Amino acid sequence: MQQTKKKISKKIEHPDRIIEYFKEEWIVLLAVTISGMIYNVGLLAGPWFEGKMTGCLVNILGGSETFADMLILVALYVISIAVVQISRYIKRFYVRRFSNNVNKHMKQILYGSLVHKSRAQLQEEGVGNVMTKAILDVDDCVEGMRKFTTEIFDTGVAMVAYMGMLLWYDWRLALLCMIFPPVSYYIAERMKVIVQKTGAAYKVQSGILSAATLDRANNAVTYRVFGCEGERRESYEKNLTDYEKSAVLANIWNSSLQPIYRIISMTGVIFILYFGGKNVLGVGWREWSVAAFATFLACFTKLAVKSSKAAKLFNAVHKAQVSWKRIKPLMVIPNDDAPQSVQPVRCADTLESVPELTVNRISFAYPESKNIYSGISFSAKPGEIIGVTGPVACGKSTLGKTFLCEYPYDGSIRLSGRELKDMTASERTGLVGYLGHDPELFNDSIANNVMMGDKGDCRQYLKTVCIDEEVNAMEDGTDTLVGSGGVRLSGGQAQRLALARTLCHMKHLMVLDDSFSALDKNTEVQVFNNLRAMTQNNIVILISHRLYLFPQMSRIIWMDGGRAIVGTHEQLMEQCPEYANLYLEQAGGGSDEKWQM
Amino acid sequence: MINNINKNNRSNSVAKIILYTIKSRLLLSFAIVFAVVMAIVTSLFPPLILGDIIDAMTAQQAVTWGMILAYFGLTVLTGLMEAAREGLLTVFGQKITHALRSGLMDKFTRLTADCLNKQEPGAVVSRFVGDVDTVEALFTSGIISMFADACRIISILAVIWFHNKGLAIVLVVLLPFLFWFTRHVQKNMLSAQIENRRAVSRASGHVPETLHNIRTVHTLGKERYMEQRYDEYIGESYHAMEKTNFYDAIYSPAILILNAVVVAVVMLFSASGNPAVLTLFGMSAGTAVAVMNYISQIFSPVESLGMEIQTIQSALAGVKRIDEFLEQNEFEKQDTKAPNEPVVRFDNVTFGYDDKNILNNLSFEVRTGEQVTLSGRTGAGKSTIFKLILGLYRPGQGSVTIDGVNSADIPDKAKRRLFGYVEQSFHMVPGTVKDQITLFDESITMDEVKKAAELTGLDDAIMSLPDGYDTKCTADLFSQGQWQLLSIARAAAAQPKMLLLDEITANLDADTEQTVLSALKRVSENRTVISISHRVNASTGRIITVG
Repeated sequence: MQQTKKKISKKIEHPDRIIEYFKEEWIVLLAVTISGMIYNVGLLAGPWFEGKMTGCLVNILGGSETFADMLILVALYVISIAVVQISRYIKRFYVRRFSNNVNKHMKQILYGSLVHKSRAQLQEEGVGNVMTKAILDVDDCVEGMRKFTTEIFDTGVAMVAYMGMLLWYDWRLALLCMIFPPVSYYIAERMKVIVQKTGAAYKVQSGILSAATLDRANNAVTYRVFGCEGERRESYEKNLTDYEKSAVLANIWNSSLQPIYRIISMTGVIFILYFGGKNVLGVGWREWSVAAFATFLACFTKLAVKSSKAAKLFNAVHKAQVSWKRIKPLMVIPNDDAPQSVQPVRCADTLESVPELTVNRISFAYPESKNIYSGISFSAKPGEIIGVTGPVACGKSTLGKTFLCEYPYDGSIRLSGRELKDMTASERTGLVGYLGHDPELFNDSIANNVMMGDKGDCRQYLKTVCIDEEVNAMEDGTDTLVGSGGVRLSGGQAQRLALARTLCHMKHLMVLDDSFSALDKNTEVQVFNNLRAMTQNNIVILISHRLYLFPQMSRIIWMDGGRAIVGTHEQLMEQCPEYANLYLEQAGGGSDEKWQM
Repeated sequence: MINNINKNNRSNSVAKIILYTIKSRLLLSFAIVFAVVMAIVTSLFPPLILGDIIDAMTAQQAVTWGMILAYFGLTVLTGLMEAAREGLLTVFGQKITHALRSGLMDKFTRLTADCLNKQEPGAVVSRFVGDVDTVEALFTSGIISMFADACRIISILAVIWFHNKGLAIVLVVLLPFLFWFTRHVQKNMLSAQIENRRAVSRASGHVPETLHNIRTVHTLGKERYMEQRYDEYIGESYHAMEKTNFYDAIYSPAILILNAVVVAVVMLFSASGNPAVLTLFGMSAGTAVAVMNYISQIFSPVESLGMEIQTIQSALAGVKRIDEFLEQNEFEKQDTKAPNEPVVRFDNVTFGYDDKNILNNLSFEVRTGEQVTLSGRTGAGKSTIFKLILGLYRPGQGSVTIDGVNSADIPDKAKRRLFGYVEQSFHMVPGTVKDQITLFDESITMDEVKKAAELTGLDDAIMSLPDGYDTKCTADLFSQGQWQLLSIARAAAAQPKMLLLDEITANLDADTEQTVLSALKRVSENRTVISISHRVNASTGRIITVG
C-alpha cells in the first residue's frame, strides 16, 4: 500500500490491463482481504467450540463441571460465530461492491471510447455487436473477476488449511488420497480448450441474435408496411435454432462436468476407508481413534468439494478471458481535449478574428473511390447565407459533410484564417455546426433534446423554429418524451426540434442540409426569417432543392456533375440556364412547386 | 381512441409457454425428474454405509472391500446422476429459452402499430435477450434444486425427531420465523431487482442510440454530456444493485448465526440438569455430535434456498416484464368482404393518437387508376391517412376499406403486391443492396429487382458498385437522393397496385423528381397513386384537402 493516497481519480493509466482495475479498487479489496482472512480462519472456530461443548456436556453429566461453565462456553461460541459471520457479510458485500465498481468503470471507459470514435470507425462494426460487446461482455468479464476474488479466499485459503490438517493426521495417507484432486484439476484444465471454443461460438451466436433482434425492433414498421413480417419471423426462428445449439454445447461443458470432477476428486476416499480402517484397528501407519478417522474423512470430503469448485473457478475465469479479449481492444481512453474548448467561441469575445470563410479549390473523394466534386471555391462573411443546390447525387450533401472533416479533403478551407483540417476535432466542433437529413433525436424529453445538458430555457429556440405552440399542447410540455429516435413526433416536428437543437448550439459556421424539407411553405419562410435574424454574426450554408428562398441569399452554389458555379441569384439566373429553369419552374409559373404526374 | 383494444386475446404468458414446452418434450421432462429423484435417493445411502463402517471399526472389525466399493460406487452414481441432471437441464433450459423468444417474436409480429412505435429498440433487445436468459436460470439453477433442498430439509427433520424431540420442536417453532425472514429478503430484493433491470435496459438502450446519433454528438461536441447521461443510467442500476447485494450478503450470515444460537440453546438445555427439560432435550455425548451435524445439515439447505431465492427472484422480475410485453394490444384481422367498391374508401373516419383527434369525420374515395394528392398544413394528418390505408391503425369511428376489405384486415402476404409505400426518409436494413429492395422477400425475382432499379435510374449506379447488387449496404454508399430512389425501387419491386408517396420530393430535386414520376407513370396503367405534398398545382391530379 505504498500508493500515495491521492483522491480516487477516474483515470486509469492502462485501461487495457486488467490488473489496473484491481489496483484502482485497492481500498475495497483491502476490506475484502481483511474480512476474508477473519472469515476463513474463523471457520475453524465452529468445529473447535462444538468439540469443547461436547466435552463439557460429558463432564457435566459426569459431575465435574457446572452449568455456569457451559454458559460461558456457549456465550463465547455464539460471539465467535457472530464475528466470523459478520466478517463474511462484509467480505461478500465488498466483493460485490468491487465488481460493481469495476463494471461501472469498464462501461464508462468503453462508452467513452465509443462516443469519441469517428462515424466511419463505428460503421465498420455492426451495431448489435458493439452493443453486446459493451454490455454482455463487461458483465461476464466482471463476473469472472468477482468469482476469482471470492474464490481466492473461499477456495484457496480454505484448501491450504484443510491440506495442512490432513497432513498433520497421517501424511502418507494424506499424500495418497490427495493425488486425485489435482487429477480432476488437470482434466478441468484440459477441458478449458473446449469450454473456450464452445464459449466463443456461443458468444458469436448471441451477437448475431442481438443484431437480428435489434434489426427487427428498429425496422418493425418498415417490415410491416411491406408485409415482410412472416418471412422475417422465419428467419428469426432460424437464428433461434442456431443459438439454441451453440448455447447447449457451451453450457453443457460448463455445468454437467462439475459432478464428474467431484467423483474423480473423491476417488481418494477408497484409500481412506481402507488404510484409515487399518489405522483405527492399530495395524496402519498411525494410531487413530474413530473420531480421528471421522475428522480425516470430513476434512477430505470438504477438500474434494472445494477442489471441484476450483475447476468451476477456472471455467469462470476462462469465460471472463473470452469476454476480456473482445473488450480489450476497445479499452482506450480517448485523448480527451474536448471539454475545455467545446465552449463555442461567441463572436463578441474574439475581436481580432472576424470569422471569415474562404474555400479554395476543394475536392473530395471517399477513400478508394473517385472524386465526388472538385475545384469548388467561394468565400463568405458573417451574416451571409449561402444557398447550395443541384440535381440528385450532384454532391451537395457531400459538400456539406466536408466541413465536418470526417474524411480528408483536398484544397483549402480557411475559417477565421485557419485551415479546417489542421484544427483539432474539438476546435472544429467549436466553430462548425451541422444538421443533416436525419434529425438524430434522443429518447429523452424535448427540453433535453434541445439543450443537451446546457443551462438555459429551451423555449426561445422552440419559438425560433415555430414549434412552441405544438409543444405547449403536448401532455407534459417541454418535458414530453419524444420516444426512440423521435417516433412520437411527426416528420416535420422532429426536423424542427433538431433545428432548434442546432440553433441552441450556434457556431460560427452553420451547415444545414435540407433542414426544411418536411415543412410547409409558410412555416419554412417564418423559420428562415427567424434563422436569418439569429445569425447576424454567423455564416450559414443552406443546402436545399427548393429555390423560392434563394433570391434572399447572399450567394448561391449550383452543383452539377461534380462541378460548381458560384454567384448571386441574379448572376446565376443569367449564367446558369439549369438553375434559371429550375427556379422558374418552382417559383415562376404561378404554382409553388412543380409537381407533375 | 384506437378501437382495437382486444386485450390479451391470445393470452400468452410465460407460464403457458413453459407448460407447452414441458408437454411437447415429455420424454425430456421425465428424464429430468428421474435424474433429480435418483440423485436424491442415491445420496441418502453413502452416510448409512459410512455409519456401518464406523460401527464396524468401533467393534474392532476390519472394513470389508464390499463396504468400501458400495460406498464409493454410490458416490459415483450420485455424481453421474447429478451430471445427467445438469446436462438435461441445460438442454431443457435452452428449449424453454427458444420457445419464449419464439413466443415473443410472434407477439411482436402481432403488436398494433401504436405499440410498435412505443417500443424502444434497446428495451426490446433486453426483453428478448436478457430477461429470457434469467427465466432460463429459473430452471437450470432455481426451481429444481429448490425442490431437492426442500426434500432434504423434511427428511432431516424426521431424523432429528427420533434423536432429540426438544430440538425438533425448537426447529419447527423456528421455521415460520425463518420463512418470514426469507420472505422479507425476497420482497426487498424483488423490488430492487426490478429497478435494476429497468435501469439496465435504459443504459443498454443508450448505446445503440448513441451509435445512431453519433454525428450529432460529435458536431455538437456533446461527448461529455452523453457520457454523463450514460453514467446516470449506470448509476441508477448500480444503486439498485447495491441494494440487492446488501440483502444477498446479509442472508446467509444471519442464517448461520441463527444456527449457532440453536446449537447453544440445545446445549444449555441439555446441561440444565432439570429432569423435566431433560425428557425432551436429554442426550449422550455421541448424540450431541450427531445432532450438531444435523442442525448444520438442516441449515445448509436453507442457506442454499437463500441463494436459489436470488435466482428465482431475478427470474420472476424477468417473467413479470415478459408478461407485460405479452399483454400488449394486438391487432386483429377479420375477414370482411364487401361488394366491389372504389380502391380506397374513407367513410366518416375519426381517428387520433392518445386523446387528441386528428381526423374528424373524413370521407373520400379513390378509384382505380386515379392519381390523387393529399394537401394540407403540417400536422393536419396526411401521414396518418397513409397509416390508416396501410392498416397500421384502425379508425376510431367509421371505416377505411381497400377493395372493400378493412385495411387492417389485409393479410401480410397480400400487402406487398397491393401497396408500394415511399416514406420521407429511407430505412436501411442490414444486408446487401438487393436486400434493400426485396426486404428479404424471396418471391421477388432478380428480374423484378433489376427492373425496379432501372425504373428509378439506379441500375447504373448499383452496377458500378464493387459487387453490384450483392454489395453490402452501408450508410455512405448512396447520396440522399439515391437513397430516395432506392426507396422507390423498394416500393415498386413487387409491382403493387397502389403507390403511396409521402413527400418523396422533399429530398429530390426537380429533375430527378420528373424522371422518377414519369418512369413510374409509364408502368402505372392500372396503378393508383396517392401522394402527400404541401404544395399543389394543377398538374397533380385530383386534390383532397385535409384539415
